[in-house]
Amino acid sequence: MQDVLEKALEWAMNNLKAEYMELRYENLKKTNLELKDGTFVTFTGKIQRGVAIRVLADGAWGFSSTNRLENLEKAIEEAYKLAKAGAKAKREKIQLAEIKPIEDIVKSKMKIKPVEVNIDDKIGHLRELEKLLKEDKVVKSTMIRYEDASGEKILLTNEGTKIKWDVNYLVQYIWTTGKEGDKLAASRDSIGQVDYGWEIFETKETNEVVAQRVLKKLHAQLNGVAPKRGEFPIVAGPIIVGIIAHEALGHLAEADLTINSPFKDLMGKQIAPEFVTMSERIVDGGFGNDKYDDEGVPVKDIHIIENGILKELMVNREYAHKWGIEPNGHARAQDYTFPPIIRMRNTVFEPGDWSFEEMIEDIKFGYYVVDFRGGQAQLNSAFQVGVQEGYMIENGEITKPIRDTSISGIAIEALKKITAVGKDFGIETGFCGKGQTAFVSSGGPHMRFDGGIIIG
Amino acid sequence: MEELIRYGEKFFDELEIAVYRNRDVGVNIELNEVSTSSVRQRTITVIRGIIDKRIGISIIDSKDKEEIKKAIEEAYKMAKLNAPDEKWVSLPEPGKYREPKKISKEVKEVSPDYFVNLATKAIKLALEKDKGFVVADGDGGAQWSESLIVNSHGVDVFQEGGGAYFYLELIGRKNSNVTPGIFEFDAKLGLNLEVEKVVEEVAQKVKWAYNVEKSKTEEAKVIVGPWAMASLLSYALFPAFSGERVIKETTPLLNKVEQKIASELLTIYDDPFHELSLKPVIADDEGVPTRKNILIENGIFKGFVWNNYWGKVYGTESTGNGTRNLSTGGVGIGFHNIVIEKGKESLSDLISEIDHGYLVDGFQGAHSSNPDNGNFAVVANPAFLIESGEVKGSTVFMMSGNVYELINQIYAISKEQKVIPFHGTTITPWIAFEDVKIAGK
Repeated sequence: MQDVLEKALEWAMNNLKAEYMELRYENLKKTNLELKDGTFVTFTGKIQRGVAIRVLADGAWGFSSTNRLENLEKAIEEAYKLAKAGAKAKREKIQLAEIKPIEDIVKSKMKIKPVEVNIDDKIGHLRELEKLLKEDKVVKSTMIRYEDASGEKILLTNEGTKIKWDVNYLVQYIWTTGKEGDKLAASRDSIGQVDYGWEIFETKETNEVVAQRVLKKLHAQLNGVAPKRGEFPIVAGPIIVGIIAHEALGHLAEADLTINSPFKDLMGKQIAPEFVTMSERIVDGGFGNDKYDDEGVPVKDIHIIENGILKELMVNREYAHKWGIEPNGHARAQDYTFPPIIRMRNTVFEPGDWSFEEMIEDIKFGYYVVDFRGGQAQLNSAFQVGVQEGYMIENGEITKPIRDTSISGIAIEALKKITAVGKDFGIETGFCGKGQTAFVSSGGPHMRFDGGIIIG
Repeated sequence: MEELIRYGEKFFDELEIAVYRNRDVGVNIELNEVSTSSVRQRTITVIRGIIDKRIGISIIDSKDKEEIKKAIEEAYKMAKLNAPDEKWVSLPEPGKYREPKKISKEVKEVSPDYFVNLATKAIKLALEKDKGFVVADGDGGAQWSESLIVNSHGVDVFQEGGGAYFYLELIGRKNSNVTPGIFEFDAKLGLNLEVEKVVEEVAQKVKWAYNVEKSKTEEAKVIVGPWAMASLLSYALFPAFSGERVIKETTPLLNKVEQKIASELLTIYDDPFHELSLKPVIADDEGVPTRKNILIENGIFKGFVWNNYWGKVYGTESTGNGTRNLSTGGVGIGFHNIVIEKGKESLSDLISEIDHGYLVDGFQGAHSSNPDNGNFAVVANPAFLIESGEVKGSTVFMMSGNVYELINQIYAISKEQKVIPFHGTTITPWIAFEDVKIAGK
């Protein structure tokens, strides 16, 4: 296929006057299984194949995508014409930061790629997980969705970049509904991996571990009491800390959004205590891990907040040029039907030196929030996170669970109220929606907020 | 397609072939400028075959005959690996379809230039309104879709149609105050988008937001706007109408048919042929004829919606609510065009009658609501304080409770409705609730 792409690109370079041209081909074989209460309602083999074409001409972008591979020249010409049409309305021409063209083959780090696993083993794995969940009498209904993909992605640009990826990922998502008396409650769980393959289910995320985690959340919801509304000391676990990092702070550090956020005027300033550092980086098991982004830029670790100071932003080549900084590998596209845009990968707070016990011992009354169901933020960093697992803290001890609640606040205000950062570290993997879906992780250590977060 | 069905019958007891072709054109706006113009085209074919009650699905990005044959073979391989589903009855039989609505073909071949001009005009209009305005984000475009559903029982239905949309998000800067991002939009079946009205409405809201007011922790009257209403109900209430949840006993509406569950002012139905619908489909994704399904009428719960599979398992018929997930090929139960019936009062009257209360434009975190019991805890943002019948400024507050209590607190519904392109489409008026518990900030 690379030959066909190279030929089409060569034709375009000879026939079209564009500043930049990029072809991104994708050919993935996917398996989708959905087990709902004993029945596989989805049992699907899928082939996803097509080309994304992006052209920068006269300072404007044109994009086309197609799965008709027989006439790529036409699709490139279409993207070129779109760029030309958009350019007429453009006052400021788009320019790209310089990069060194790269030729590389990106190999998978997976030990057992999903494609190498017999489908019977996948079925057996999901059935066993369902059985473990249903052994608990409160469980009324279960839905387990599994998806994996294996295949290739090729990126070619008129600047000479030629990168070929061996693409592999797997996703497992669970939604369980429980009932006790008249009370109905739900618990969700998600696992997403690009670096660990099927081995993840045999090591870190065995069915026993996952089922126990889901059921713990479900029982906490069923037995939970409604929390008091108001502002109390909050200790947040890695998953909640992560969702705040991602939703309320991470998006503000995506350079295309920064300009309209409070971060614009806070660059280089102290916005959190000096013991607080938040990074966008490669993490072990991170769902956003990759070697290059979809513009062929090597992925670099950055510190969004370093020792409390707002320091670095995520950029693509366009915004790297606008802000006068080095591209850092954050241009990502969902699939061949989308152009790349600035996205997070793995957004995490870095660990400190507190133990969990030290963190809660002097709290007379507060809340410990562990896991979420949905979170959302505004560009002014106002956030809302639905809590699906949380507990009361009374006189320095974790006591009753709380149910169906949420926490909210203004993240840049809440940052100032951080009083302790734990020495532990954890992440959760999931999806981020910004018009397109991206694989992401978020996490950090346990952290304590004395104010700045409202519960209820 | 007949030939492919015959080919598939060599492998399966029953099979269905669904072909979807989409063309999306559009432009997006970033920071007062048109950014990317795009055309995205995609063809997807989904094969669903059943042999000995075993289901197998395959999906390809093509409608080529030979590729489809290979996909049929792949679906067969999957079916052989799957276990029998003893609940399986059969794929749908042909039904009687309504006459399709006349569709505007102008969106089929519209050029992105059209939206470049539209976006340029909207940016200019917005920036002329106020020096502090920044057009933070926006999008304009059209989608044309064609679908063909055929099965081995004789279902054979082709549909085509499309629509256009435009949205604009503004941020206002005045002195040291930066408003949250506030947006407005329009969506129509044709290209008759009302850009001036979109700019006018969003500008009004941003100007309100220049003045920031505190909210109290109290019980107050709250008017919830269309976007906020559609997002909250889509997550907290609408899933409860699914027949699958009847079988699994996970809907709070179990055994409540013909019972009063909401204020008598509330009527909700799913009707793809409603005059404002963006999706006037005559058949669902399984080829079952669509119809108007009343969900709540004057506060009385009228019944559930079904797809072919769950309907037959329950011993009833599909209500034409089978919706296919194009990522996985699975067919679930969904809605085409939910309508919340309009009321009698104008929005301006609703506002002017409030001595002290709030107007909510958006909810943050509606998707964290619990569909299993209707509990929600959301942040009203953007929201506005109303004093003495006038909007005084923007505010933010938390609203938590249970949706089944909330729909009993309705005291008025506006006569204006808006189309929200969200989870299919939802057509909703502004709804006024009383004695709503809020936690102010």
